[in-house]
Amino acid sequence: MAKRRDAEQKNRKPRDAKSVSRRDFVKSGAAAGVGGAAAVFSSSGTALAQGVSPSDAIRWDYEADVVVIGGGCTGLPAAIRARDLGASVIVVDQNFDLGGKMLHSGGQVSFGGGDPLQQRDIRGEGDPEGFVKVPRLHSIEELTEDTDFLFRDHTDWSVMDSAAQAPYRYNERELHRAYADNCGATRTFLMQNYVRFGRISGTHGNGGMSRARRAVTFLMEGTTTDIKKGTITRQDAGIRGVSSSHFAPRFMEDGSKVVGPGARINGAALSRGLEFAAREKGVRFILNRHMDEIIREQQFSGRVVGIRASYSPRVDPQTGRRLESLWQNGNIDERRETVYIRARKAVIIGSGGHANNPQFRSTFYPAFREPAFVSSGWALLGPRGQDASGIIAGMRVGANLAGMHQNLSYADTFHFPGTLATRDPYTDMLPGHPTFPFRGSTGIVLGPNSYQHLIVVNQVGRRFFNEMQVVIRRGGAAFPAAPSKGQPNSGMAHKPLDWRNASVENIRKTYDEPNAIHAALAMNEGSQAPDYFSGPIWAIFDRAAVERDKWNINPPFTSPTNGFFFSADTLEELAVKIQKGHEFQRVPLRYLVETIKKWNAYVDQGSDPEFGRGSDAPMYRIEKPPFYAATLYPVWHDSYGGLRINGRAQVVDMQGQPIPGLYAGGEASGGGNQHGLGRALVHGYIAGTNAAGEPTGTR
Amino acid sequence: MFEDPVGIGAGAVQLHPTSVVAWDIPPAVVAGERFRMKVGVKCASACPLAHVPFAVYDDGGARVAAGTLGGEPWPGTAALYAAEIELTAPAAEGLHTWSVRGPDAEAAAPHAVGSTTFGLRVVNRADHLVTVEAVDKDGQTPIAGARVVMHPYHVETDERGVATLRVAKGTYRLFVSQTRYETFALPLEVEGDLTTRAELSLEPILERN
Repeated sequence: MAKRRDAEQKNRKPRDAKSVSRRDFVKSGAAAGVGGAAAVFSSSGTALAQGVSPSDAIRWDYEADVVVIGGGCTGLPAAIRARDLGASVIVVDQNFDLGGKMLHSGGQVSFGGGDPLQQRDIRGEGDPEGFVKVPRLHSIEELTEDTDFLFRDHTDWSVMDSAAQAPYRYNERELHRAYADNCGATRTFLMQNYVRFGRISGTHGNGGMSRARRAVTFLMEGTTTDIKKGTITRQDAGIRGVSSSHFAPRFMEDGSKVVGPGARINGAALSRGLEFAAREKGVRFILNRHMDEIIREQQFSGRVVGIRASYSPRVDPQTGRRLESLWQNGNIDERRETVYIRARKAVIIGSGGHANNPQFRSTFYPAFREPAFVSSGWALLGPRGQDASGIIAGMRVGANLAGMHQNLSYADTFHFPGTLATRDPYTDMLPGHPTFPFRGSTGIVLGPNSYQHLIVVNQVGRRFFNEMQVVIRRGGAAFPAAPSKGQPNSGMAHKPLDWRNASVENIRKTYDEPNAIHAALAMNEGSQAPDYFSGPIWAIFDRAAVERDKWNINPPFTSPTNGFFFSADTLEELAVKIQKGHEFQRVPLRYLVETIKKWNAYVDQGSDPEFGRGSDAPMYRIEKPPFYAATLYPVWHDSYGGLRINGRAQVVDMQGQPIPGLYAGGEASGGGNQHGLGRALVHGYIAGTNAAGEPTGTR
Repeated sequence: MFEDPVGIGAGAVQLHPTSVVAWDIPPAVVAGERFRMKVGVKCASACPLAHVPFAVYDDGGARVAAGTLGGEPWPGTAALYAAEIELTAPAAEGLHTWSVRGPDAEAAAPHAVGSTTFGLRVVNRADHLVTVEAVDKDGQTPIAGARVVMHPYHVETDERGVATLRVAKGTYRLFVSQTRYETFALPLEVEGDLTTRAELSLEPILERN
C-alpha cells in the first residue's frame, strides 16, 4: 500500500492554490442561474498573481444580503437570526448535509448569567410542551447569577485546571462581556426555533466554575420523527450497538435523568431543530461547496463583498453515488466547479476550526503534523471539514488571530478516547448514516479497565507507557468545582478570583496531567526527517483477551478491509500484515515480537519494570492465537485559536479595526476557551443580528 | 515477506520459516505435578503441518516431552497446527524458562525448525485458603466470572461471586477485575486462611460531547 505523508494536504492543495482567470469569470458568469451585478473587469494583475480575486472583476453567480460559510453551530443560528431580521441568506457548506460538528455533538449547551432555563429551574417549572418531568437538579443557589457574575467567571485569572493550565485567564474581555450579555437572548432564540432543553445539569467544559449552566437538547421517542411535535423514532435516534441513522449520526443517549422517560439526547436534537427552522424560514443552502476565498474590495482594505466557492461533492465509496442531505427544501443544486456569491451586507465565517488540518495543528504541537490522526467527526464532515479554511481565508484579507495558545487549556482538545480499530475513535457511529462507509468500522469501544488485557506499541512495535493510564483524561475546569478539576474547593465552596486557586501548593495537590499521549507522539526509531512522524499506535492483544473481557471484534465494530484491524496466526505475521495493510505504517514493526516476549516475561515475574504495570491491575500473557492488532488513535477533538473577533462578532484586523462586512464565530474564531456549543451559538446569534443590520452594499 | 521463502544459496534447499506458539500455560504449577498446555506451529507459506512432531525442552535443554500436531488448523487461524500436551512440572520452585521446538529436525524438511520459549512458574504446594467474595458496590449483588489474581495465582468467581485460591504464605496484591468495573486492588499478607470481600464500582462512562 502506498504510504501517506500528508495526503489530506495533497488533496487540498490544487483547489486552494488555484487562481481564478478571466476566462473563468466569463464562463461562470454565462452559466449563472442567479445573478445581480454586471461584471466589470479590471486588470488587477497583482491581485491575481497573489491568488486573490479582484472584487470589481467578478460576475456574481448568486447574491444575498448575508452569506454564511458553514451550516453548523455558528452558521445556522446566524442564518436564522439574520433571516428573522429581514435579510436574505445563503448558507454554503462543504459537506453534503447540514449541522457540521453540532450534528455530531452531545448537544450540551452551557449559557448562564441568569438565562431563561436557570430561571425556569429556579421557579420549578417545566417546559411548555410538558416533556420535562424530572425536578430541578440543582439548588436555587447553584442556579442564581447575573451577567456580571458570568462575565467574571469567564475571565477569572485564578482558575487552574488539573494540568495547571489557566482556561479563563486569557479570554478576550470584550468578547466575553458580549457573550455574557447575549446568553439569555440566545437561549430564548433557540427555544423559539425548535430547540428543546432538559434541566440544567452542571456546566460544560470551561463554562465557568461557579454556577450550573448546562442543559442538553432532546427529542422524545415517538412513532414519527417530527420536529414540530418534538418526537423522534427509535430508529432515527439510533439503536445501541446496532445502527445510527441519517438523522443522528451518533447514538442519541437516554435522557431520562435530565428530561424524563423516553427522552433521547444529543446534538442531533439541536442541529436538526435549527436546520428545520432555517429551512422553514427561507434560508437557502448551497451544499457540497467549499469556500475557497473571501473577497474584499481590496485585499487589505474596503468591505468584504462575497466569496468564491468550489464544488466539493462526497461520493459513497461503495455505490459511487453522490451523498444527499436529509432534507432538501431550500437547497440550491449547484454543480459548477467554481461560483462567486455576493454578500450585499456581510459574510459570516462559521466554517469551524482547524482540528483536521495537520499543518495548522502543528503550529500548536509539531507532533500533530502526523496526518494519520484526524478530528472527531472526520467521516461525517469529510476530509475538508475542520480544515481551517475560514481562518486562512480571513487571514488572507487581513484578519488578526486570537487565543492561539488556548488549545492547551481545554482538557479534551487532543486525547485518546480509547476506542480501537477506527481512524476516528471519538465518534461512535454505526451503520445507517450515509458516511459510515468512509470509516468502515465503528471501533471496539473499551473502558479504561479493559486496557489491562492489551499492550500498546508505537510504529516500531515498542511500548511507551503504562497502558492502564492511556485513556485517563484530566478534569476540565467547570462547575461543580473540585480538586479533580484543579480547584482547592468543591461545588459552591469555590471562590472566584481567589489567589489560592492558583497557588503552587494547590497545583501540587491537584496536578494530574495524563501524559500517555505525549509519549505516544514522541519520536521513535521509525521517525524520519523532516517531520519525524510518530506514526500509528497499535493495541496488541490475543484471543484470550477477547474471550476474557468479551470484546466484539466482528464487523461493524471492526472492518476486514479498512486497515485498522488485523489478525494473524503468529506475531511475526501480524507485524507484516500491519505494515502491508495500514496506510500510515511507514516502517516495519521490527521490535513487536521481542516486545511481546519481554511483556510475557514481565507477566511471569508479576511486574513491569519499564512502565510500572502490575501495581494497578492484573497482567496477562499475550500468547493465545490468533493474535490481533487494532489501532489506538488519538483524536484532535475541537480547536481553540482562530480569527480575532470583537463583541459584535466582527473580524478584527491587525490594527484592531473591524473588517467591514466580515463576521465570524465558533471554532473559526479565537479568544474564547469555552468548549463547544454555547460559545458558537452565542457568536452565531450576535453575528446574525449585526450582519442583518449592516448597510446594503452598492457594488 | 513470508509468501516467498528466502533461499539460502544457489543449489541449496529453500527452507520455509516456521513460527512456534505456546499458550494456555498455567500461571502457576505445583512442583512435580502434571499440567497441560498447547503448542502450535505455523509455516510462513501456510503449508499444512498436520501430524508433524514437536518437542518441549527444559531450562537445561533436556527434552521433557514430545507431541504431534493435530490434523486441522487451530480454530480461528489459517494454518496454525496445534496440539495439547501434558507435562510434569520440575521439582524446583521458581520461574523456569522452557522451550518448544518444531517441527522436529528429522521431520522438518522443507521447513526450518522453529522455536519459542515460555515461562513456567513452579510453586510449592500452597497451604492457605483465601476466599474472595466479589460484589457490585452499589447493588451489593454478586459478580460472577470476575478474575481474582494474586500473582501468580489466577481464578474466577463462581455464580455466587465467590472464588477460592490456595496460596503459599507471603505478601500479595489481590486484584479482582471484571469488565466495565474498576479493578479492585488490596495488599494482602497471608499467614493463614482468610476471607475477604471485594466491592467493585462500575467504571465511569467517559463523556463524549
